[in-house]
Amino acid sequence: MNCRECVEHLYEFLDREVTPQLEQEIRAHLEDCPPCEEQYDFEELFLKFLRARCKTQGAPTELKKRVLRELFGE
Amino acid sequence: MAQTPSPDVSPPVDEKRASFEREALVHLDVLYRVALRLTGNPADADDLVQETMLKAYRAWDQYEKGTNAKAWMLTILRHAFINEYRRRTRHPETVDVDSIEPYAVFPDVQDEDPQGAFFDKIVDDQVLRAIDQLPVAFRETLVLSDVEGMSYQEIAGILGVPVGTVKSRLFRARQLLQGKLYDYAVEMGYIKGSPA
Repeated sequence: MNCRECVEHLYEFLDREVTPQLEQEIRAHLEDCPPCEEQYDFEELFLKFLRARCKTQGAPTELKKRVLRELFGE
Repeated sequence: MAQTPSPDVSPPVDEKRASFEREALVHLDVLYRVALRLTGNPADADDLVQETMLKAYRAWDQYEKGTNAKAWMLTILRHAFINEYRRRTRHPETVDVDSIEPYAVFPDVQDEDPQGAFFDKIVDDQVLRAIDQLPVAFRETLVLSDVEGMSYQEIAGILGVPVGTVKSRLFRARQLLQGKLYDYAVEMGYIKGSPA
């Protein structure tokens, strides 16, 4: 595996959506290639950051009441 | 007997309601978050969620209990959104999203901030605004994956596209979003950035 291929599959790897064989190839490449490993850390941090920034919002209480009212007449 | 009973055997109302509350209503927050990112404003998100819940309740007998209610409801929500969106917009997608070239931010920050510390300075609202600026096809994929943590397979099912399309859209959506946030960070002076 070369660097271009590694970077191409980084997100799938982070999402745990790669086959066991590809996973092994990526892991082996990351161990041997500090720049790719740095990019891996960067992308991992970016995805964590995204999740943390977006997850906070839930449905407003008013909407919950409205849905229950419409569905069950309460 | 006052009325002709319907030929299909529907479960009693109480049972239907109980299973709907147990399996469907618990996903209200997810539906709202996705609706908010798709519509871009709370009032339209409220209406979209409301419409989704009504449609889901009406079709509840067709849902195979105990499978994936979240994905099933998100599919309904997404259809409702796309219909409304097409009705409102005469030319829905002005860009062919699948031809947008990805642009990697990492090489630009590799020397100055390889740890991505500049991300921490970007507040929630700015991230949400940047997501809202993505083309719809990218936005829906990114939200289902990165906000709701759904698998490629689930997303493909909801969007009605092959897994390979999910993969490539997600890749480009993330890179595009990263680029927007990077540009913003440079503009705000959070990071010097590399000269263009």
